Amino acid sequence: MNSRTEKRQRNLFIASFILPTLLFFGVFTIYPVVQGLYYSFFDWSGMSNKKTFIGFDNFKDMFHDPIVWRAIGNDYFLVAGKVIGIMAIATFFAVALTRFGFKMTGFFRSIFFIPNVISVVVIGVLWNFIYNPQIGFLNAFLSLFTKEQVTITWLGFTDHTIWMLLPPAVWAGIGFYMILLIAAIQSIPASYYEAACIEGAGQWRQFRSVTVPLVWEQIKVSVLNIMMTTLNGSFVIVWIMTEGGPDNSTQVMGSYLYQMAFRQFHFGYGASIGFIILILSLATTILLQRLMRHEAVEMS
Amino acid sequence: MVTKKKIAAIGIAAILAAVSLSGCGSKKEETVSSPSAPASSPKASASEPASQTPDNTVKLTGDFEVQYFVGGYGDKWWKQVIADFQAANPDLHVIESGGPKINDQMKPRWIGGNPPDFVYIDGAGLNDRQMVEDGQLEDLTDWLKDAKNVDGDLILDILAQPPQQYDGKIFNIPLVLNSWGIFWNKALFKEKGWTEPTDFSSFLEVGEKIKADGVTPFIHTGKYPYYINGAFLYPAIVSANNNDFSVLQDMAANKVEAFESPAVLAALNKIVAMRDKGFIDKASIQINHTDSQMLFLQNKDAFIPNGLWLPNEMSKDVPQGFDFGFIPSITQDAGGKVVANTSTATVAVAKNGKNKEAAKAFLQFVFSKAQASQWAELSGAPSNIKGDISNSNAPNFVKDAAKFLTSPDTVVIPTITYNADVDKAMMDATDALTINKITPEEWVKRVTEVVKKVGK
Repeated sequence: MNSRTEKRQRNLFIASFILPTLLFFGVFTIYPVVQGLYYSFFDWSGMSNKKTFIGFDNFKDMFHDPIVWRAIGNDYFLVAGKVIGIMAIATFFAVALTRFGFKMTGFFRSIFFIPNVISVVVIGVLWNFIYNPQIGFLNAFLSLFTKEQVTITWLGFTDHTIWMLLPPAVWAGIGFYMILLIAAIQSIPASYYEAACIEGAGQWRQFRSVTVPLVWEQIKVSVLNIMMTTLNGSFVIVWIMTEGGPDNSTQVMGSYLYQMAFRQFHFGYGASIGFIILILSLATTILLQRLMRHEAVEMS
Repeated sequence: MVTKKKIAAIGIAAILAAVSLSGCGSKKEETVSSPSAPASSPKASASEPASQTPDNTVKLTGDFEVQYFVGGYGDKWWKQVIADFQAANPDLHVIESGGPKINDQMKPRWIGGNPPDFVYIDGAGLNDRQMVEDGQLEDLTDWLKDAKNVDGDLILDILAQPPQQYDGKIFNIPLVLNSWGIFWNKALFKEKGWTEPTDFSSFLEVGEKIKADGVTPFIHTGKYPYYINGAFLYPAIVSANNNDFSVLQDMAANKVEAFESPAVLAALNKIVAMRDKGFIDKASIQINHTDSQMLFLQNKDAFIPNGLWLPNEMSKDVPQGFDFGFIPSITQDAGGKVVANTSTATVAVAKNGKNKEAAKAFLQFVFSKAQASQWAELSGAPSNIKGDISNSNAPNFVKDAAKFLTSPDTVVIPTITYNADVDKAMMDATDALTINKITPEEWVKRVTEVVKKVGK
């Protein structure tokens, strides 16, 4: 009897924490997703109460829309570029700052972390100035080495302009993942490295056989996080720097969604793009988790 | 003690649930109420004849809401005209909904079928063509035929530019009359001994000289290609079409033949001529309008396609001695008429508005000569109402522009809004054309494909 009441009380206690969260999750996440899916079946300008149900027509149109395919390509290009770029540099910095025994570790750690404190909007504007063909830093710097003034339009190539969005995106991301990896590396007991050292392992061998296996969980989380934030959030940097142009060459799904829903008044189409982003994010997450499944190495 | 905490927690959970659920509930109510909105229209249309009386003898009562976007033209005039209107109709309760973000703020109400009565269509987020297609605006065709303003003048008679027609129907009336065109710095031209262009051949000629002197002849904003389209391409199309702007109206009506007309190709080839001579600043493609305007003000580039609002917009950055030269178009043949592509902002009555009578009375109030000079004075832009503003306190370039737009030697293109998809396709294609990615023929092909899709 007594234990029963206790159990009930305990359940009630837990429920009082979980239920509000679940409710908020339902209202602010599940409901909008369902609502978005609902709108994706309509031809709706997003400006009036005039909606026409058109079934899967938006999705069919999307299939024939070359810009959607380009946007998906650009999205995955950014995912691949950012994962490789950020992880390589962040891992290098993390290892360098923890394992190589620099004197100014704290200073460098702060310096590398600064871009993370700056808003992405500011980063976009900043890099726009760097890339500016007339008054930009990059051309001015390159002009030091040439006889004639360099006037490359970094954001105005006929194709592949998306490459130019990679450096700011990578630059902005390094700091956070570096800190994450530093924390992971610092939690590895020094005795492991001592043992490896006695066994004759050099820095590279130590990195491969001690560091990487023991921080694999963090690497995995980092890669997944980079992938998800890129698919969902590359909109900001694209919109600030190029608005998807020139001639849609830097369009990503997020920016194309915005363009269609709020500039060209196809809210239903925008909603269906949003739904595809969700599906792609989920599918890629599952795929990456499978690919990176690795036997857990326990520290004991 | 424990029970108290428990009750409190459950209570909070319950409140949260109630709040969020009631959020859903109220939204539902809004959508439900939308079908009922048209029900109010018979009443309004029944009272329509009353509002047609020119001397405004009908006593206006109830609430009357005006939505106005505050952008480059400011809100001084709106505040003034609304105060005047309120004073003339003391029994009416005028509600002002204005601001730079007002279009977004009011959106839920337009969607919910509960819009304001009167709307000024300007700024991002509002598109007159889309609003017409969505059935948001009141059909003013019949009313406007014999609607007189507060002075007893027929409104249609005093408009400098007629309203745009959608399948022969009128839904919105242009209030502002501005013009696109090409600017240069007169002082720089004088100093360097360059001749100011009057037509396309003289433009190309002076362009060569400018280039030889180490200045880039032409800059535009590739990030917002509607500048080069509005100030260069569209006037060029009209010039190539024997000054007949109906081709642009046909383009706006999504007629494929219009896009395939030789005039369009001829105009596009003028961009190509400019591009192949190396006149277009390479920086153009990636910069926004402000950056392009800054480079122009620094005399790094000789010409810029822009609108008459430019001197006002950049007033804080104009260097000393800079003297704006302006021509509405440079693409006409020698001796040909100048083509002015107007840039307008319009006003309209909401179809689901609750006080259409007051909204129409407000139209009669706004489209008067007194308000025309007041508009020019307070907003720094020419108004779409014929009338002599030379004695008003309007800035000089506004008076000059007004003169240009009323001159018989100028072909004035009235307000035209393209379908948003077609507009975007034209912008993208023009950008691609300026960086040598496509040919004029491909421009036409690309755009007509979109037109066909939209027309379906």
